[in-house]
Amino acid sequence: MAISDSLGALIKSYPQARLIAFADLSSSMILASHGRDDVTQEYLDRLCQQARTSFDDPLFSLSVEAFGEPHAALIMGDDGLRLFLRSETEPADALCCICDHSIDLPGFVAKIRETLDKISAGA
Amino acid sequence: MNKAALPIFARLQALQTSAKVVQGGARVIAGVSDGNPLAALLCEVNETVLGRTLAFESSEGLGLTLEVSGRRVLRVVAAKGLPDAELCLAAEALEDEHKDSLIKLLQGVAVTGQELRVWALPMTRDVDGVSVGLPVALIADLLLVDLNPHALGAPITPAITPRPSGARAAVRTGEAAPPSNPFTERPVTELPRLSARLGVTAQPKLQVGDPAPADAPDTGLANLPADAHFLRSFAGAIGPDLMAWLIVGGQADGQTDGPEEMVSHLQGFLEDEAEALSAQLDQVTTTAGTPVCMVLGASLVEGHSILCARKGPGVLLGVIEGDATQTVLRAWISALRG
Repeated sequence: MAISDSLGALIKSYPQARLIAFADLSSSMILASHGRDDVTQEYLDRLCQQARTSFDDPLFSLSVEAFGEPHAALIMGDDGLRLFLRSETEPADALCCICDHSIDLPGFVAKIRETLDKISAGA
Repeated sequence: MNKAALPIFARLQALQTSAKVVQGGARVIAGVSDGNPLAALLCEVNETVLGRTLAFESSEGLGLTLEVSGRRVLRVVAAKGLPDAELCLAAEALEDEHKDSLIKLLQGVAVTGQELRVWALPMTRDVDGVSVGLPVALIADLLLVDLNPHALGAPITPAITPRPSGARAAVRTGEAAPPSNPFTERPVTELPRLSARLGVTAQPKLQVGDPAPADAPDTGLANLPADAHFLRSFAGAIGPDLMAWLIVGGQADGQTDGPEEMVSHLQGFLEDEAEALSAQLDQVTTTAGTPVCMVLGASLVEGHSILCARKGPGVLLGVIEGDATQTVLRAWISALRG
């Protein structure tokens, strides 16, 4: 399944997900995105930068010291949440998601992880 | 103005810039009085999403032709009058090892005091995708060039001595994880000092007998103001999954719970990293001044996660054990609703 098809399937399964994007964190680029809203390239650039920031110091080092390398970041605000998952095999691969508060977060995290693993494995 | 809007305004402003076209169809992107033609060149590449061949030429006759797509320099097609171009010219696709050579070529053609022109031509070959080549953001970062120079009328940052390429921050991979004994090595200091390091003010605690807010619930938190109530109630709503935490700043400054050695470690972390943590939270906050919570974990659904929340002058830092998804989200929504 193509990446965009995978992202589209996720949006269809989780309508509370406003946007899902596949990013190359090493180059700070969103390579594919899918969502119900039209967004600008600058918006996607900003989202990718937030993903990079989430997996950077100082909280990154604290996490490494405490329990090991983090591969998931959740950012909650007053208007929704952002979820960033990094591949465990390809550290630059990441899925960036913007969701409503009402989303089934445990199920969504599991599904996103499964999708990211497939993308990184080239399946 | 929302910081997130700055690149958009910069782009809109750039689109309104009148183009100077010279004979032969070239556009002048930097004049002789332009302080930083290199920044203009990089911005031109940064504006190029669809595949294009960009031929740059200086008024002295030096030339550099690049294949560009997706804000990346894919290949050097031609170089005119520029030394040491062979390495890049021989590369079928530019890679990390070529970036220093490419930077020298860019600096060679974009020289202060000379007019710089560009021809935008169709690609001469198909490209496999946008995952090859060197991202212009990387080049700009190494050259300390701001790719959004027009944001709020800010001048283009002058090009200075390039930063060594190896110094560029990369996404962390955890390779440098110290063989430490976590939660046991940091010194314990008095909590109120942390608020000063965080740049927030620890306000005096309310005394017994102070009037409670009119709409405050009848709980032990009733005499705390909104911000303190928010973080404290957030921590309380998460429950025992939040195994250790402390609040710094605001009227809840100094409140803690959990094993003492873990709280001490969190406290020591804040002592060392207060400014950096504040900056990290700023960067992930979509709207300045609004509450934000960041949870970082191996998987979020099992094991341990680090939680850091901020509202107003207060910062909550803690460690979550187990599933950090549903419980934390419910607690966050509950705290937002007051």
